[in-house]
Amino acid sequence: MGDIPAVDSTLAYPYTRTTGPVIGPFLTGLRDGSLIGIRCGEQVLCPPLEFDPATGAELAPDFVEVGPGGEVVGWTWVGEPTEKHPCADPFAFALIRLDGADTPMVHAVEADSIDEMVTGMRVQVQFRPERHGAVTDVFFVPEARAEHQSVVPGDEAVTITEHFIGVRMREEIHPFRARYYRALLDGRFLGQRSPADGKVYVPSRGYDPLNRVPMTDADDVEVSDTGTVTSFTQITPVQYYGQEETEPYIRCSILLDGSDSPVSGIDIRDLTADQFRVGMRLRCVWRPPGERELGDVSNRWGAIPETVYERWEPTGEPDVAADLLKDHNF
Amino acid sequence: MAAPDDIAIIGVAQTPAHDCYDNTEPTLLMAVVNQLLSEAGLERSDVDFTIAGSCDYLSGMPFAFVANVDGVGAWPPVYESHVEMDGAWALFEAWLRLQLGDIDIALVLGSGKSSPTDSRQVFPLQGDPYFTAPLGFDPVSYAGIQARALIEADLATEADFAAVVARSLADGATNPNALRGDPNANAAALLAEPHLSAPLRHHDVSPKADGAAGVLIARGERARQLCADPVWIRGIDHRIESHHPGLRDLVDAPSVRLAADRLDLAAGALDVAELHVTHSHEETILRRVLGLADTTAVNPSGGPLCGDPVMATGLIRVIEVAQRIADGSAGRGLAHASSGAALQQNLLCVLEGDS
Repeated sequence: MGDIPAVDSTLAYPYTRTTGPVIGPFLTGLRDGSLIGIRCGEQVLCPPLEFDPATGAELAPDFVEVGPGGEVVGWTWVGEPTEKHPCADPFAFALIRLDGADTPMVHAVEADSIDEMVTGMRVQVQFRPERHGAVTDVFFVPEARAEHQSVVPGDEAVTITEHFIGVRMREEIHPFRARYYRALLDGRFLGQRSPADGKVYVPSRGYDPLNRVPMTDADDVEVSDTGTVTSFTQITPVQYYGQEETEPYIRCSILLDGSDSPVSGIDIRDLTADQFRVGMRLRCVWRPPGERELGDVSNRWGAIPETVYERWEPTGEPDVAADLLKDHNF
Repeated sequence: MAAPDDIAIIGVAQTPAHDCYDNTEPTLLMAVVNQLLSEAGLERSDVDFTIAGSCDYLSGMPFAFVANVDGVGAWPPVYESHVEMDGAWALFEAWLRLQLGDIDIALVLGSGKSSPTDSRQVFPLQGDPYFTAPLGFDPVSYAGIQARALIEADLATEADFAAVVARSLADGATNPNALRGDPNANAAALLAEPHLSAPLRHHDVSPKADGAAGVLIARGERARQLCADPVWIRGIDHRIESHHPGLRDLVDAPSVRLAADRLDLAAGALDVAELHVTHSHEETILRRVLGLADTTAVNPSGGPLCGDPVMATGLIRVIEVAQRIADGSAGRGLAHASSGAALQQNLLCVLEGDS
């Protein structure tokens, strides 16, 4: 929305997968310079499977070396490779039936152009200089162009394979959310009041969830920057992968005066749990105008960016009785 | 086993297919839910069971399907279910649930915001985690392989694909919910365009969209009380093939044939068929395997090639058929939905009006 940046983020997970008694040997083979299939009745399956695809019966670990050459039985020319493809330049995805196998596998053929590709052509596997025990350790080329390689095997059998998954998303900030963010930069809290029942939501989701009524800028209302703690917890950070926190801190929900819904997920690091109470009155101490920033914006998460305020300060007013807050805990 | 109870569609609603919707997914669903309830004269509390089909990966938002319940109204608590599938499979579960006989009305939804992510990078993740996902093997490439196999088996030509697109675009021009349409689309001009995943071109691939759709279904007498022109679900079935591309016969669709046989599709004429064609060559395969007659109107809505709000698209095929039966322009119709890639998993739904 112009002045408010778009959400540009990557959801990424470093998957490590166990490989089991069939895929393990297959990936070990890729790392060590060979292609492995498995016997299934009269046939040889490559890539190898743990079960007979027709009957579901478990297959004995009767492995057969296949390839290094094979036949292209199907293909497409990938004219616009994605970031996830094994090749940055146009290439062919193909179904390749390796010599000695009865079923084809999907893989990439690095041909110079679509003119080099024809169904029935022969291709040969090539092993990448750096291999990790994954299907990406290899690629294929037209047989005439295959280079002779001497591949140094690894030590231990491959029992774990890594697959780093990342999905990138980009989304503009929705208009109702942009208005909320602009108000924060202005040192104000903006909510929306339902035209159906008058309840005020901060921050709003753009609709009244209780009555299923969409809301517009006509429903925008400003609420106070002073409010009441409705619930809190003390978080003791667990050191999981990606965790950045080390010291315990408070996470609380604050019901701003004028709002019916508390703002949750507010982190407090300058007060300790013994100084904190449900019912306590706090005021938002804003950063000076011009020093407020939004940081990472979102259409859904992160109610109040910590970069627009300095701290939440106890006002010294008497606590609000807890039973007056029971409909606004969360 | 007793014959399944008569279940009818008593209301339908869909949002337009948006290129990029400037608001949240619950808002899309809310519009659909509000329209369905108000047109049926029902309150949310009248709905016995709610089920939605959606996929968090499309918007890249964890638990998007939980936030989506706001579209239905999450308070008071609602008896609801979810499938990480197209809404057509949510319809299957709702139909199945009503067979237990203790409840009468179900709300079925399908929705998705595909605009934040690139589906060619997301959908490889549904493939085999060892053999194809790490290669980023995507549905368009898979479709390209299938389309080429079709040509080499002398079952279709690139001109046939262009003809499907041209006809679809022309039909989509009169569909107010379509994302694209062109009353003057012509196959020769389409064939002059460059390839994307040869032999497929950009226009051979459905344009992914943001959107939501929903239906209300009800049992027997309750359906007749609520709706003057109920559209009866005469049969619904879905089948799946191997997820290993090398084990499939890509020019055939055995799962479609199996579902069609189970539903005794050939038992009566079909006035209309809406097919979940996300790559134009798929229409060639489906027409052949389903044995569609020339008298069956195929994708009169323009189909997904004119707008593909992923996770709602299959349910919209049901909606487009149901609307044409309800308004009297069709008597019996078929809706097809697909999942996986290259027609790996297929659902068929036979719909019929009161005769």
